[in-house]
Amino acid sequence: MSHRFSIEITKRLPGFTLDVSWVAGDGVAVLFGPSGAGKTLTLQCLAGLIRPDAGRIVVDDRVLFDAAAGVNLPPQERRVGYVFQSYALFPHLSVAGNVGFGLRDRPRQERERRVAEVLERLDLTGLAPRWPSELSGGQRQRVALGRALAIDPALLLLDEPLSALDAPLRRALRDELRAILSGWGTAAVLVTHDFTEAYRLADRIVVYENGRVIQAAPRAELLWQPASEAVARVMGLRNVLHGVVVKSMPDRIQIAWRGHTLEAVNSPTRTYLPPPETPIAFFIRPEYVRLVRKDRSLDAAHHMNRMRGTVVGETDFGTVWSLRLRLDTPGEPAQGDFDLEVEVPHLVYEILEIDRDRQWDFSIHRGSIHVLPT
Amino acid sequence: MSAEAASALALSIRVAIVATLLNALIGIPLAYVLARRAFRGRALVDLLVTLPLVLPPTVTGYYLIVLLGRRGWLGAPVYAVTGWSVAFTWYAAVIAATVMALPLLVRTARAAIESVDRELEKAAFTLGRSEWRTALEVTLPLARNGIIAGLVLAFARALGEFGATLMLAGNIPGKTTTVPLAIYTAVQTGEMGEAVVLVLALTVLSCLVLILAGRLGARAT
Repeated sequence: MSHRFSIEITKRLPGFTLDVSWVAGDGVAVLFGPSGAGKTLTLQCLAGLIRPDAGRIVVDDRVLFDAAAGVNLPPQERRVGYVFQSYALFPHLSVAGNVGFGLRDRPRQERERRVAEVLERLDLTGLAPRWPSELSGGQRQRVALGRALAIDPALLLLDEPLSALDAPLRRALRDELRAILSGWGTAAVLVTHDFTEAYRLADRIVVYENGRVIQAAPRAELLWQPASEAVARVMGLRNVLHGVVVKSMPDRIQIAWRGHTLEAVNSPTRTYLPPPETPIAFFIRPEYVRLVRKDRSLDAAHHMNRMRGTVVGETDFGTVWSLRLRLDTPGEPAQGDFDLEVEVPHLVYEILEIDRDRQWDFSIHRGSIHVLPT
Repeated sequence: MSAEAASALALSIRVAIVATLLNALIGIPLAYVLARRAFRGRALVDLLVTLPLVLPPTVTGYYLIVLLGRRGWLGAPVYAVTGWSVAFTWYAAVIAATVMALPLLVRTARAAIESVDRELEKAAFTLGRSEWRTALEVTLPLARNGIIAGLVLAFARALGEFGATLMLAGNIPGKTTTVPLAIYTAVQTGEMGEAVVLVLALTVLSCLVLILAGRLGARAT
C-alpha cells in the first residue's frame, strides 16, 4: 500500500513558534536540524500528544487534526507508533508484555500470535520473558520498535532513535534500523541532528531551523543542491563562500571571488539567472579540491578554476588531513586567516610530502562549485 | 493484659485498619490527581490535605468537632434527622485517624507518582490506553513502592493518633479508648504496669508493620 501524509501546523510556545508545512510518502522522512528547531515538537503534534494552535494533519486520507473543522483525534485513536528517544519501555513488563501492550484489547490468541510474529521478525524471540533492564541498548531499541510496530501503525515516529547508544554500536544499528524500516514498509518520520544519520536513513529529508522548514527534498537532492545558505550551514557544509556574479547562463555561472573568476555549473533544474554584480553564495566540498602535482606535465583541460595558495594550517583527522589554504592573491582571506579548507587522504599527504612542501597550485572542477540561491 | 487493655488494643488495630483502607480509597486517587492533573483549586486541595500535618492535632480535632459535632455544620443536620451523632463513637476515632494520616499517604504517593517518567504514560497513550487505564496499568504500578510506604506511614500514624481522636471521639473505655489514650489514662492514674504492657504492645506492632512493609517493598523491585 502506498502512503501519503501531510502536515501543516503552527504552535506558539513562550519564546518559540513552530510553523511548518511539509508532505511525505512511502519510506522514511527525516526531520533534520539543530537541537531546539522544533523537530520533536512536530512529532508530538503528529502523535496527538500536543495540540497545535492551527493547521491540519492528514495521514493516508485520515484527518488526524484540523483546527478549522474542530478535529483533533486523541493519541489513542491516531494509530501512530512512537519510538521515544529514551525508548520509554515499561520497566514493570517483560519484553513480550511491552510488545503486546498495544494489543491488550484483542482476543488473547490473536494477541499472542501477533506478539510472537513481531518478536520473530525483530529477532527477539529468545528475549520474550526478559525485563527491559536486562537488555542491551540495541535490544531495547528493537523492543521499542516492536512495541510501536505491533499495533500496525499508519505512521511510525522515531525521536533520535540512535542517540542513546555508544558511537560504534550506533553505526551498526543505523544500518539495522534502515533494514527494519524498509523491511516493514511502514511510512516513518525520524528525527535527528546528525547529518550522516539523516542521509543514511532518509528517503526524504526535511531541514528544520528555528521552528521553520528551510528545505524539504529527496536526500540526494539535498546533498547536492541545498536550497540556500541557511540549509548549507545547518548541514554543516564547509567552505560556504561569497562572491559576485560575473555572468550567468542556464548551464554555467561565472563568479568573481578573491581575485579569481570561478566557473561553476548552474543548476539545470533551477534556471537561476542572477544578473551580473549580484552577490552570490556558493560552497566547495573540501574533498573535491585537487592539488596539482608538480611532477606531472600540466594539462590545462583537466584543471579548471586554477589557483595558487599556501598551507597555513592543518589538522589530522586520522584518515584524512584537513589543510587550510590561503590564496596568494592580495586581499582579506575569505574565512578568517585562510580561504579554503581542503581535505586530502593520508596517503596523498605522504606522497606529495605536504608536511614539507607548503606552496601549491590547485584546481576545482566547475561541477564541484555549488551555487546557493538566495 | 487486663480486659481494658485488650479492648483498647483491639480497637486501635480496628481503627488503624479501617482508617488505612479509607486512606487508600481517598488518598491514592487524590495523590494521582494532584500529581498529574492541572485544575482550579489544586493548591487549595493540597493545602487542606496537608494542613493536619502541621496543625497541632487538637486544632485539627477542634475543626472536626465544628464540622461533625452534634452542633457542627454537617453534624447538626444529621443529628436533627437521625438523632445520631458520629462524635464519641468509634467511627469518630476512624475519622480522626483518617484525616491525620491522609497527608502522609498523599505526600508520599504523590512524590512517587510524580517521579514516574511521563514519557511512559505518553507511550501508553499512543498504544491506545486511556488516561484511566494508563494510571492503572502503568503509573500506579510503577509508583507502587512509594504508595506502599505511604500506606505504612498512614497505618502507623492512625495507630498512634491521640489529640484529634481525644477531641472528636473522647476517651470512653471500651468504646473509644484506643491504645495511646489508654496509655495516657494508665499513666495519669498511676497504673504503670498497664502502661508498660500497652507501650510494649504498640512497639511490637509498629515493628511488625515496618518488617512487613520492607518485605512488600523488596518484592516490588
